Amino acid sequence: MTGRGTERLADLATYVIALVLIALFAAPLLWLVSLAIRTPAEVFLGAARFIPDQPTLANFEQILTDRTFGLYLWNGIKLCALGAMGALVVSVPAAYVFSRRSFRGASALMLGILTVQMVSPLVLLIPLYRYMERLGLLETHAAAAGVYMALGVPLSVWMLKASFDAIPKSLEQAAAVDGCSPAGTLFFVTLPLAAPGMASAFILNMLMGWSQFLVPFILLSRDQLQPISVAIFNFAGSTSASTTQLLAAACVITVLPAIAAFLALQRLIVSAIMAGAVKG
Amino acid sequence: MTMSDTPVAAQKAPRRPKRARPAAWPWLAPALLMLGAFYLVPILDVLRLAFGDATLLRSVESYGLEGIQQTLSSPALPGVLWVTVVFTAASVIGILATGMLVALTVVRGEMRGLWGMSALRTVVLTAWVVPGIANGLIWQMLFSEAPFGALNSTLAVFGIAPVRWLSDPSNAMVSAAIANVWQGTAFAMIVFYAARKGLSQDLYAAAAIDGAGPFARFLFITLPQMRAAILVATVLVTIQTLNTFDVILALTGGGPGRATEVLSLFTFNTVFYNFDLSGGSALALILVLIALLLTVVYIRLLGDRPDQDK
Amino acid sequence: MTHRFLRILGAVGAACAVGIPSSLAAQDLITRDRVGLPDAPNTMTFRLTAYDLYSSDDATRTAFEELFAEFIEARPDWKIETQIATDNIGQEQARLLEQARAGRGPDCAMIDSSQLALFKSADVLTPMNAHWSEAEIDDLFPFVREAVTNEDGDLLAWWWFTDLRVLYRDTRLVPDAPQTWEELQAASLATVDAGKEGVLFNGGRWEGTTFDWLAHFWAQGGQLVDDEGRPVFAEGENREKFLTAINFYKDLVDSGAAPPRVTSIVNYDDFNAAAAAGTTGLFIGGNWQYGQLRGTLPVEDFAAWEVSAIPGPSVDARATGTGGWTIAAMSDDEDAVRICAEMIREIYSGQSNAIQGLLPTSAAQYERFDAFDGPEYDVFAQALVDGQARPGVPIYPEISNNIQILIGDVLSGAATPEEALDAANAAVQAAYERL
Repeated sequence: MTGRGTERLADLATYVIALVLIALFAAPLLWLVSLAIRTPAEVFLGAARFIPDQPTLANFEQILTDRTFGLYLWNGIKLCALGAMGALVVSVPAAYVFSRRSFRGASALMLGILTVQMVSPLVLLIPLYRYMERLGLLETHAAAAGVYMALGVPLSVWMLKASFDAIPKSLEQAAAVDGCSPAGTLFFVTLPLAAPGMASAFILNMLMGWSQFLVPFILLSRDQLQPISVAIFNFAGSTSASTTQLLAAACVITVLPAIAAFLALQRLIVSAIMAGAVKG
Repeated sequence: MTMSDTPVAAQKAPRRPKRARPAAWPWLAPALLMLGAFYLVPILDVLRLAFGDATLLRSVESYGLEGIQQTLSSPALPGVLWVTVVFTAASVIGILATGMLVALTVVRGEMRGLWGMSALRTVVLTAWVVPGIANGLIWQMLFSEAPFGALNSTLAVFGIAPVRWLSDPSNAMVSAAIANVWQGTAFAMIVFYAARKGLSQDLYAAAAIDGAGPFARFLFITLPQMRAAILVATVLVTIQTLNTFDVILALTGGGPGRATEVLSLFTFNTVFYNFDLSGGSALALILVLIALLLTVVYIRLLGDRPDQDK
Repeated sequence: MTHRFLRILGAVGAACAVGIPSSLAAQDLITRDRVGLPDAPNTMTFRLTAYDLYSSDDATRTAFEELFAEFIEARPDWKIETQIATDNIGQEQARLLEQARAGRGPDCAMIDSSQLALFKSADVLTPMNAHWSEAEIDDLFPFVREAVTNEDGDLLAWWWFTDLRVLYRDTRLVPDAPQTWEELQAASLATVDAGKEGVLFNGGRWEGTTFDWLAHFWAQGGQLVDDEGRPVFAEGENREKFLTAINFYKDLVDSGAAPPRVTSIVNYDDFNAAAAAGTTGLFIGGNWQYGQLRGTLPVEDFAAWEVSAIPGPSVDARATGTGGWTIAAMSDDEDAVRICAEMIREIYSGQSNAIQGLLPTSAAQYERFDAFDGPEYDVFAQALVDGQARPGVPIYPEISNNIQILIGDVLSGAATPEEALDAANAAVQAAYERL
């Protein structure tokens, strides 16, 4: 068999695998969409009907014309962007030093930082509330974004260290010979090379923040401050009529900005950092 | 450090030999300050509560080891720990394997300019950002054992007998893990995708010349080269899975019986059903210990070997 | 890519900014976090569920906007700052309790009737005696009165609607309402012979399972806790009654009268789905489902469904669990408490029941509103006579948790009823000591 033939065969295999994966991951989402386009009467049919007899976009319309839905979305984007950005900024130097230096207690410190992520947020809920109350920071976005940031640090440090580790030291040594300071080396040599890693760390932080429920739930009870992850429950209300279809529509709409942000930011970050590398 | 020490330290610094590296702490300071300012006090508070007898109704009245002892001797705990082990192992393996498969498929497809790769990435990612509240809605319908349940009706088309997805205790565990893998794969995919993208193509070109097949290339180039990323993904996915309970809560509530009650859900029940804040804190500490232990094991297995490092 | 992202954001923003106002006057007075004018000098804060004023159901929301607008127009010096509660009842009530203990709680809040005991024992509720007459309190159903008052006779909350569980049946399959356990089993087996699933009930890991099952325990006179609030369900006579009620469930599943999938049912909506798909002829559900079925089933199918009291061990021994929501004041400010009480009286108690078809908590109100004229309300009102609330003790949620585990273990065959009961009792007693 020729090389080209093998490649063709491999392409086919890639397509087959991709299609199977897409089907497996999309099926549950389609059920969510199925709920989102139902009338209240058809919601109670549950799994008994996949394609509604009377599909409707009214649910989406109701969510999109809700006067505060946009505010909830904005709050969500603001909190997780701030959190992700902050976490990345403070984590870069830490990850760099963990990757490039060996100093006493380094691994203990790495583990220590990771411990933050291990403590169950369920139990932290009450102490966190009391702490922020003492600081007078309840009902502020600053406190919530700060906690998002802190929660993003362990993940960022670990991920960035792994991507720094993958970059050959020889490149940096060359820069150092050229008279670059350590910070300069990091900024102009290492960071551009670590662009994919940084982009993924940022995106992971962002998306983890997007689904964060407990922190904003306990710190923010004023409606105007709530991110969509908490406020989505506002659409879950009715004792007699079903609101499941609205909830499903709200979930579908909520996903869109997150995905859009993901696609946009991924390219933006990678290209910005790589452009920097070319200029540097 | 006391005030009087500072000037001494400052004086000493310039006298260091030039090739000595500057201290590590200024690099670490921002991250540590951030953690300290927002998170340290609450975490220490959890530690304090674990050794007390606080409930949601009252603050700690006395400290001691009794609370921890009672928590550890709870007859339900061994079963809960076993469920946690099974669920975590199944989820982590499932998430890592699926994440790797998706990442490598996408990378290969992109290199060959194949169509549909960003669709695959996006759909996997969407599963992750779907709000937790939707999980219950979706998977309840899929796993429904009613005659019209989504999965069972699909199986029926192929002549397969209905499966007791949720009402059978051991199946319920598998179902919960499937739902969790569905949601969690994106994380591993992103990490692996970035790591694989960072690998030099030269390695593969050289291997191809040596006549290595795709499986050999995966085994001898991709896996070893991505070791750091695999370590990070394994550690983080494990920690996340250990702390996951919302998927299970929405799907089975931990049942039937305690068949799917993982440690984090047990903690949830202890705090919110039993109002036992101290007991919950003690359980949270157990969870931290398990996570730390696993992390150390992972580092031993997957971490840098000292001879390669320096 | 970036542009597309911005465009999406822009579209969302524009959609939100445009938002078509439903009623202009109500719109000015009512926003997502306020009722009244923003510059009104006095403020009462109110935490409410998203079920009424902020309901996603247009008709409900409009009716409530009118009630609230009228209420606040009569009190121009006041505004109500509203906070919406999520429906994660556990976390929601823990947060509310923590806020109240820190002195930052709302002046007035909706509390689930099953959580009221927690707030009573935390001593964060303000008595509202001044705002209701003795006669009005006496007119409440006994289980309601007992729950909302304390030993000193203080009225600590107003339980404004209740709910209960009943047996639903498709009269085409089961013409006569089963009155006893035996009749229920026979009727269920008959529906199985007709190709249906048998009787459905909650058997999964959630509060509904315990709550629905308790009817069978209570019908025999069983008690979960004694007068001091100590759990006694596994002692003496209670133990036998407990096992009898559990074995009744076990027999239903073992005999095929109920499908094994009941241990996966954690949602009343599943019954609606089964009724709509025509796969079941019998289920034990909530009174509110009657209205849901009316909206879901074709007219001729709906006409075939009827409700009756949950069967008991004998015709005379019947019970049903009653739930619902309360509203309580948490403020030290007498005026805020007064506004809270007046709001309950003018908006929630009575009016709100009628709008939403929620069962009132005193017999008199059934007469007052036409909304309760339907034949189903006769069944509900009659069944409420046998209504029993969950015990108002802080240990109840843990008892419930262990009963859920027990039912799952027994019905899935993982444990015998005796073993499961002993395990549940051990867990509850340990938890009780810690509480």
